[in-house]
Amino acid sequence: MSNAISRRDFLKVTGAVGAAGLLAACGGGSSSSTAPAGPASVAEPTGDAVELSISWWGGESRHEAYQTAIAAFSEANSNITVNPTFAAWSGWEDTMSTKFAGGVAEDVCQVNWNWLYNYSGNGQTFIDLNTVSDYIDLSQWDEATLNTCVVADMLQAIPVSMTGRIFYWNMTTFNKAGITEVPTTLDDLMAAGAAFQSKLGDDYYPLHLGGYDRMIMMVFYLESIYGKDWADPATSTLNYTAEEIAEGLDFIKSLVDNHVIMPLPTYYGNNGSTAAHQSNEWITGKIAGILEWDSSASKYQDALDEENRPGFTVGEEIKFGDYNGGFTKVSMGLAITQTCQHPAEAGMLVDFLLNSEEGASIMGSECGIPASKAGLAAAEAAGAVDELVAEANSKVMAFCAFQLDPLFEHNNLKADGTGIYQEVFDTIDYDGVSGAEVVDILLDGMESVGYTINA
Amino acid sequence: MGMKAAHRIATFFKYFVLILVGLIMIYPLLWMVSATFKDNSEIFAGISLWVKNPTLEGYRNALNDFGGSINIIQAMINTYSYVIPKVIFTVVSACIAAYGFGRFDFPGKKIMFSIMLSTLFLPQVVLNVPQFLLYNSFGWINSPYYLAIWVHCAFATETYFVYQLIQFMRNVPRDLDEAASIDGCNSFQTLYKVIVPMLAPALVSCALFQFMWSCNDFMGPLLYVSTPAKYPMSLFVKLSMDGDTGFAWNRILALSLISILPQLIVFFCAQDQFVEGISAGAVKG
Repeated sequence: MSNAISRRDFLKVTGAVGAAGLLAACGGGSSSSTAPAGPASVAEPTGDAVELSISWWGGESRHEAYQTAIAAFSEANSNITVNPTFAAWSGWEDTMSTKFAGGVAEDVCQVNWNWLYNYSGNGQTFIDLNTVSDYIDLSQWDEATLNTCVVADMLQAIPVSMTGRIFYWNMTTFNKAGITEVPTTLDDLMAAGAAFQSKLGDDYYPLHLGGYDRMIMMVFYLESIYGKDWADPATSTLNYTAEEIAEGLDFIKSLVDNHVIMPLPTYYGNNGSTAAHQSNEWITGKIAGILEWDSSASKYQDALDEENRPGFTVGEEIKFGDYNGGFTKVSMGLAITQTCQHPAEAGMLVDFLLNSEEGASIMGSECGIPASKAGLAAAEAAGAVDELVAEANSKVMAFCAFQLDPLFEHNNLKADGTGIYQEVFDTIDYDGVSGAEVVDILLDGMESVGYTINA
Repeated sequence: MGMKAAHRIATFFKYFVLILVGLIMIYPLLWMVSATFKDNSEIFAGISLWVKNPTLEGYRNALNDFGGSINIIQAMINTYSYVIPKVIFTVVSACIAAYGFGRFDFPGKKIMFSIMLSTLFLPQVVLNVPQFLLYNSFGWINSPYYLAIWVHCAFATETYFVYQLIQFMRNVPRDLDEAASIDGCNSFQTLYKVIVPMLAPALVSCALFQFMWSCNDFMGPLLYVSTPAKYPMSLFVKLSMDGDTGFAWNRILALSLISILPQLIVFFCAQDQFVEGISAGAVKG
C-alpha cells in the first residue's frame, strides 16, 4: 500500500523535475534575442570604459606576443580593457564557426582567409573595415593585398601577413652528391635526381612532395608555362583545360620517374601519413628538399639532426616557363565581427597590433612577416623578425605573381588520406598511369566542391 | 612429480604470455615516459625506450605560464572543479533514471526508453551547434562555474550509463525490493538502502568512465570556456602546439604525463570494483 503511493510520488517528483527542466529550457530559449545588426555608421570613441574581446590561435610565442601587445595597448588606452581567448589550431575552426553561428564570436578575431567565404560569404559575420578606416590606417597595405580580403563587396579582414611556397634545401646532402649550388632550373632538378641516385643510392632524393604539395607544384608549373591563375579568385572558374592539366600531371610523373621526388608508395611504406618534417628521411637527410610555406622554415630546420641542420638553406623559386609561377595567399587576417559593440575601439586595437611602432615591434613575425609596411619597418627595426622566415618570405613575395582561389584549399580536396589531390597522385604512382587517365578524377572532385569547369 | 612439473611448465607459459602481452600493451605508456626526456629529432628517429641525450627541457617548459594567464596547477584545479560535479551528478541522475526504467511501469515507458536509447546514437558533433545556441541563450557560455559543461549531467543525459545501470539492475532480484517494502521502505529508501549497495560496482565503473571522459574532453571546454585563466588541462596541454612553426614534443608529452597521473591513481584505486562492474553488467545482455 505505502509502496504504491510512494511509487506514484516517485513518478510525480521525477515528472515535476522533468517538466521544470523543460520549462526552464523553453523560457530561456524564448528570451534569446537576435544578434544586433552591424553598425550603419561607426560611433566615435567616447573615452568611456569599454571592454573588447579578441581571439587567436597559435603556439606559445604567439600567445605571449599578443598578450604583451594587448597589455601595451591597454596602457596607452586606459579606458579599454581587452579580454583575450586563445588556443592551438586543432579544433579552433570548429569552435569559431560555432561561435559565428551563435553570434558570440569575439569582437576582434584572427581569421583564416577562407573563413571570409565560408562564414561570411554575404558579409553576415564581419564588418566592412572601410567603415573604421578613420582608426585603421589602410594605406599601409597595397591595394591588391587588401582586395584579396574583399568578399561581398566588403573589406572583411586585414591581411596580417602573406605567404607562399618556396623550396628549402638540405645542402649537406647536396654537397655529398657533389652539388654545391641550390637548384634554380628544371634541368638542375633533373641533374640532382640523377646525381643523388648514382652517388648516394636509391634511398636519396633531392626533393619530397606529398599529395597536396604535388598539387601546388603542378599549379606552380602550369602557371609558369601558361601565365594564368589556376582559377578565377572571385568566381572559382577553372582557367585550365583538361589537356593542360594532364600535361601538368605528367610533369609531376616525370619528376618521380627521374628520381627527383620520392614515389608516394615508398614514402607511405616508411612513414604512413606522418608529415615530412617528422619523417626519418627528412631528419637524416635522405630527403634533401621540400616545397613549403615560408612560415614553416624553422619547423623544417629544427627537425634536422645535428649533422644536417647547418646545411638547411632557403632556396630560390624555380622558373619552369616564361612566367613566374606560384601563388601567394593571405596567411591570416584580423577581422571585426558584426556583433562588436565598439567597432571604433576595435579598429584602434587592430591598428595598434599591425601598424603602430610599439604594437608591431612586439608582434614581430609571430603571425608571419607583417604585410603592413609600417608594421614591417617597426618589427625589423626592433629586430623582432625571424631572419629565415623573412628571407623566405621576401623571395616568395618577389617572385610569385598569381592569386589563389578560395576553393583550392577546400578540405575535400586537400585533406590528408581522403582528399582528391592525394587520390590523384596516389593513382599515378601506384598504377603508373599517365596524367590524361586521372585528370577526370581531379576535375570531378573540383566540380563537387563548387568549381566551375568549362573544359 | 610429473604432474607437478607439467603444472609448473604450464604456469610458466601462462605467465610468460601474460607478461609478454602486458609489456606490449604498456609499451606506449613507457615510451611516452621516455620520450619526455628526448628532443624532437630523437623522438621521431625510432621507438626505442633508450634516451641518448636526456634533457629535462620538457618538464621545465611544462611549467611555463603562457604570458601569466594560466599555469599547470591552475589548469589542474580548473579541470577537477567541473569533473567532480560532473561525475557526482552523472552517477546520481543516471541511477535514479535507471531505477525508474528498471523497476516501474508507467505510461509511455517503452517509447520513452526507445527515445532515450536513440540519443545514444547521436554523435556529439551533430549536437554542438544546437547545444551551443541553447546554452548561449541561458548565458552559460564562458560561465565561471563551467555550467554548460556539467549541468546537463544532472538530468541523466549520459544515456550510456543509464542503459548500463538498467542492465545491471536486472540482475538485482526483485525479491529484495519486496522484502524491503515489507520492512517498511518506501521507493526512495528501497533505492538507496537496497539497490544502490547492490549496484556499487556498476556505479563505480560509471563514475570512472565519466571521470576519464570528462578529463579527456577537449571540444567541450574549447567551446564553452573562453577565459584563459579558466582553461582546464585538456586545453592547456595543447596550448603550445603550433603546427605551423613547430613545437617541442617532449613538453607536450611531459604535460600529458602529468595530466594523466591523477587519472591513473584513481583508476588503480578503483580497479577491483571497476573490473567487476563492467563484466557484471555484460553478462546479462
